[in-house]
Amino acid sequence: MQKAERLLDLAALLLRAAEPVSWREIQEQFPGDYGGSEEAAVRKFERDKAELLELGIPVRFVSKEDDVSAGYLIDRDEFYLPNLELAPEELALIYLAGSVALSQGAFPYARDLAHAMNKLSFAARAAGASETAALAARHLSRGEGAGSKEGEGARKLEELSAGVTAKKRVHLVYEGAERGERTERDVDPYGLYQSGGSWFLVGHCHLRGALRTFHLGRIAEVKVNPAAPRTPDFAVPKGFALHDWATREPWEYTLHPPLRCTVRLEGAVPPEVRASFGARAKVREEAGSLWVEIAATNAEALLRHVLSLGERAQIVEPRELRDKARAVLAGLLRRCG
Amino acid sequence: MKKRPSSPRPASPPAPAKVDPRERLRRVLFLVPYAVSHPGIPVQDLAAKCGVSEAELLEDLDFLLGVGCPPFAPDDFLDLYVEGNRVYVALHQRFSRPPRFTESEAAALAAAAQGLGGEGVERVVKTLRDSVPRDRRKSFDELVGRIYAGSPPVRDSVLGRLERAIALRREVRLRYYTASRAVEGDRTVRPYTLAQRFGHWYLYGYDLSRARPLPFRLDRVRECTLTDVHFEPPSDAQLSGARLFSEREPIRLTLGPRAAAWALSRPGVALLERKDGGGCLVEVAGADEDWATRFALSFGGEAEVVAPPSARRHFAEAVKRSLARYG
Repeated sequence: MQKAERLLDLAALLLRAAEPVSWREIQEQFPGDYGGSEEAAVRKFERDKAELLELGIPVRFVSKEDDVSAGYLIDRDEFYLPNLELAPEELALIYLAGSVALSQGAFPYARDLAHAMNKLSFAARAAGASETAALAARHLSRGEGAGSKEGEGARKLEELSAGVTAKKRVHLVYEGAERGERTERDVDPYGLYQSGGSWFLVGHCHLRGALRTFHLGRIAEVKVNPAAPRTPDFAVPKGFALHDWATREPWEYTLHPPLRCTVRLEGAVPPEVRASFGARAKVREEAGSLWVEIAATNAEALLRHVLSLGERAQIVEPRELRDKARAVLAGLLRRCG
Repeated sequence: MKKRPSSPRPASPPAPAKVDPRERLRRVLFLVPYAVSHPGIPVQDLAAKCGVSEAELLEDLDFLLGVGCPPFAPDDFLDLYVEGNRVYVALHQRFSRPPRFTESEAAALAAAAQGLGGEGVERVVKTLRDSVPRDRRKSFDELVGRIYAGSPPVRDSVLGRLERAIALRREVRLRYYTASRAVEGDRTVRPYTLAQRFGHWYLYGYDLSRARPLPFRLDRVRECTLTDVHFEPPSDAQLSGARLFSEREPIRLTLGPRAAAWALSRPGVALLERKDGGGCLVEVAGADEDWATRFALSFGGEAEVVAPPSARRHFAEAVKRSLARYG
């Protein structure tokens, strides 16, 4: 019997049973599958149980008690997806977030997310307005994820997600942006984060012997170590916090010793511009302007960010960075004629 | 001994070279209960719901004919059949509701929810956790810490109210910062939905004073108040024609070699031409001139907006004004 068929048959048997089903009975019902040596049969059954659990179906062993004999069963309460007891706005949050994530073209565990969104229709009572809004969100966000570039990104993100879940090492072919060189390396994938609309992998890089981040768009190839798929290749260090990496601003990447920089924001400063300097920036108001103090370890990245804010922002200190900003703008103006 | 009942359907087309058995299992565990709760659902609709072609769906139905429960008497099998191109379930063998979320399904939903934010996000994550089999909740906890879908776009209280208004179809009054005029003002909006573009979150809704649907950047919403006014849902046709931005001529930029590597890895940036030395010409659809200018300047002198002429002028003027600050 094919495995998929056997797993469903087994689930059907254990779901219907009024009492635990003994191992002997299971063997009798599936003679072609759990026959042969006892040891091999037990191992195969244990693998099947593990696969059912991975599908969301928990098979439980019940010890002999009074007049109930020992055996396996599936608790129906533990099997069926329960109703999500959530307020309307909380359901809306799930529907909208899930739909937008799916229509982005690339999101970790996108396939799982699609399954989850399907299952939601069973678990969410009276989700009418949220479902409509989710559909609208998908209409609106569509169009970006359709290209082959995005399709390729989605495939790689799916591979990386599998590596993160199973803690399997991944082999990357990576196009470095700064040096423009193509390298191959093994990475222990610790986590995935999104920043500015792009996805990044954080992990221990065996080539550099340190934690590194990798931009999804510059991962040319990715392959998860296929050996021993259920045995982790690594453990994520206890102190690792993905959030710290994900919220690091580009000027906080360590390329040189900390450099004290001051940025002046003038005129009407939209809230998102003020927020764009991150949680660690010190902002004060003085003489009708906002003054942002930053300890940059990648001053070049801060320069780019300030330039992107246009005339409302200027670098005040250090002088060399201010001179550089002026030179960049003067060069651009010359080229614009 | 198990015996497959003879199929009442005509033979289906040959199977594709590779069917991922795990994916098929996950699909049919949804497909059967969905067909149970939607008797007579058209084959086409069920296939679309499952994300497969009609031919693949028919193969799944064929596969299910052989699935059953020992002792495999005729009534012990699953029985889904197609009549008049519609799917019916005669026997579901207790697969009347899908199984619990797997930890990766629930973790993906939780990560998406955390990336959006809102007042109820912690309760949402806890409820999702409780929907995973007991034995897998530890894995769920670990996995949730391994995906970070971005910082929430706005204060939880503002977003929570907005999500409530969307769910209840209630009009909202927004205190909104309009960047083009650099002013804060009040708007009354029928909130239809949320969407994401170029890394930013937007509210899409009908602006009553402007009498048309418009996008509002979430990080510019300062306050949000629910009113008592209910609104009718927009029709499917209105929603399917909805756009976040009006159609504009795509904007073209030239990029130096380093900028090219960064820019091309961003969604929405299409390569038009490679230049000698590693630079390139790219096109961005749906972006406005202001966005394109900021995007070009974020490459620190290695990128320029080149077309259309109005966008080029916008870029040149912005550079000139910025340079004046360094006078």
